[in-house]
Amino acid sequence: MKIKNILIANRGEIAIRIIKTARQMGIKTSVIKTAAEPSAMYLALADNVYDDTENVSEIPVFLDIERIIKIAIDSGVDAIHPGYGFLAENPYFAQKCADKKIVFIGPSPDSIYKMGNKTIARKIALAHGIPMTMGSEGKIPTENEAVRIARNIGYPVIIKAASGGGGRGMRIVTREEDMSKMFRLASNEAEKAFSDPSVFIEKYIENPKHIEFQILGDTKGNIIHLGERECSVQRKHQKLLEEAPSIALNDDIRKEMGQMAVKIASAVGYFSAGTVEFLFDSEGAYYFMEMNTRIQVEHPVTELITGIDLIEEQIRIAEGKELRYRQKDIKINGWAIECRINAEDVQSGFSPAPGKIEQILMPSGENIRVDSGVQAGSVIAANFDSMIAKLIIYGRDRKDALANCKQALDKVWIKGTKTTLPFFRMLIRNPRFIDGSITTSFIENELTGYHVNSEYEEMLAAWLATWLFVDENLDESNLKINFEETKNLSPWLLNKRITRH
Amino acid sequence: MAKQQKKLYALTGKKKYGFSLPLTDTIKIGKRKYKIMIKEDEKHGTYILWKNRRYPVEIIQSRQNKFEILFNYVSYSFTIETPFSLKRKQYLSKEMGQVEEEKILAPMPGKIIEVLVREGTEISRGEPLLILEAMKMQNEINCPVNGTVTSVNVKPEVSVVKDDVMLEIKISQ
Repeated sequence: MKIKNILIANRGEIAIRIIKTARQMGIKTSVIKTAAEPSAMYLALADNVYDDTENVSEIPVFLDIERIIKIAIDSGVDAIHPGYGFLAENPYFAQKCADKKIVFIGPSPDSIYKMGNKTIARKIALAHGIPMTMGSEGKIPTENEAVRIARNIGYPVIIKAASGGGGRGMRIVTREEDMSKMFRLASNEAEKAFSDPSVFIEKYIENPKHIEFQILGDTKGNIIHLGERECSVQRKHQKLLEEAPSIALNDDIRKEMGQMAVKIASAVGYFSAGTVEFLFDSEGAYYFMEMNTRIQVEHPVTELITGIDLIEEQIRIAEGKELRYRQKDIKINGWAIECRINAEDVQSGFSPAPGKIEQILMPSGENIRVDSGVQAGSVIAANFDSMIAKLIIYGRDRKDALANCKQALDKVWIKGTKTTLPFFRMLIRNPRFIDGSITTSFIENELTGYHVNSEYEEMLAAWLATWLFVDENLDESNLKINFEETKNLSPWLLNKRITRH
Repeated sequence: MAKQQKKLYALTGKKKYGFSLPLTDTIKIGKRKYKIMIKEDEKHGTYILWKNRRYPVEIIQSRQNKFEILFNYVSYSFTIETPFSLKRKQYLSKEMGQVEEEKILAPMPGKIIEVLVREGTEISRGEPLLILEAMKMQNEINCPVNGTVTSVNVKPEVSVVKDDVMLEIKISQ
């Protein structure tokens, strides 16, 4: 069945990403205009805009399954692409689409359910001989039970949300005294994020690398992998930088892990794009962590090294077409790195820094791809995620990609909010990052500062602070400040020019 | 302000930068003088031009003599002192000891999920004080000092805006 019109049930950069591919395929796109973001960038690029600004429901539209279905029917689309996020991994939503004869661009409700429930996923992986860490058999009902199981496994352990993902509802416990507090925190967060408070426990692998395999499967039972991504640069289990391939894998282990990833995907009859995540320890052992049944934020690095448009494949597969590639056709070519430039304050432990983007200038060039849903004037709101842009860099090899990345980072210009930019500028110069040996605990345990320290820059900032003080406090006529460039500038004008928060 | 003051100091807590008045747009490094220019255009907004390179600048906060400047994406906090106020400050800190109260401000707008301390709780640096939910993440707000909680101004389910005083802590010596 040929898809002619897609409703994109998402916002921001991923909505724009999907529009780009759909347009190339000659498919029309519909997007949803919300009261929270009535002038968002993605609205201008779609063929049709459904105006949902009058929606007074307390549930935001992108979390409201019934409403999305209604909008799809009203808009007359034949398919829905959920992007990533809540709707992408909700089996009920996928089923609802099927019931209403709308193509859900993603896997089957059954695969989403099985892989989305981490305790069921563990059982399936175990049954198929996929390497895994020790853990609880299923959900853990009480704090006391959690204490008993953790004693069995041995600390440290990690508590995870059964319906979770993306780092929420997750807590590491290193000693028994902390168990009850951490159990409550994880369960609370799981309830809030996934409407399911149930959690389970696994042995916590200390200092692993995070390595994940990109999967593509069709509805005829063909499944292949597109190599791995390494996402070890994380804080609070949130990925900040991803690269593909991983420096830690040789061809043999890549082949073996790739086969394991295909095996677990096959076990649930998986089709569409998906990601199988592994932890990779210092001994070179790997453990299945979870499978994400959606397109991921970091998918572009795989696209750059394989030359395959993953959104296009998702759409083709949803149309019932057979995969165009066999495993032997997949060739890894070069190296790609993605930096997530978020509105966050790296000097306050990466806390969100919402605000209005005043100026944004992203570099461009042969080896640079920018996926962003933000332009000058856009507001990074506290109730959405903090992403400003993904800076995706290509190189012939890792060294070349790092060099290109360093250059590109210096060219980014964003004003209006604090961003993760100083962190990346520091990271790209860090010897441990450069040699490729870092693990997921790198940011929290090894870094002493999250930005480059420059004495000159601090001095220039001190000068500016002093200048402002003089400007505000001293009588101008007494001072005879000698500024050639700003001589005739009245203080109120400069005040207006410099953004105040 | 008296006319005889010839200098201002920008203090970071660790470092002191002195600037002679009237303030000029050149900074001397070693034997060379470098010119600083504050500039602005539509494309870049306000920036500082220094050695032929543009640096983005923003004022995050300016309150009396306290400034937080975002310079090249990195934030720096300064207090500006005159030679006289600097002397007084040094004298006071010697006589009175350190600042006694620490206010825990909301670092971002959000909702309080859980308060883990009560009035009178003794707490050490790094221990969690409360859980604040913002941007879909639950953030543990940790204690920056050793001390005793003297005031709890928030409770679960309450929304806070940036810089709301959530807790007050008396710093122990």
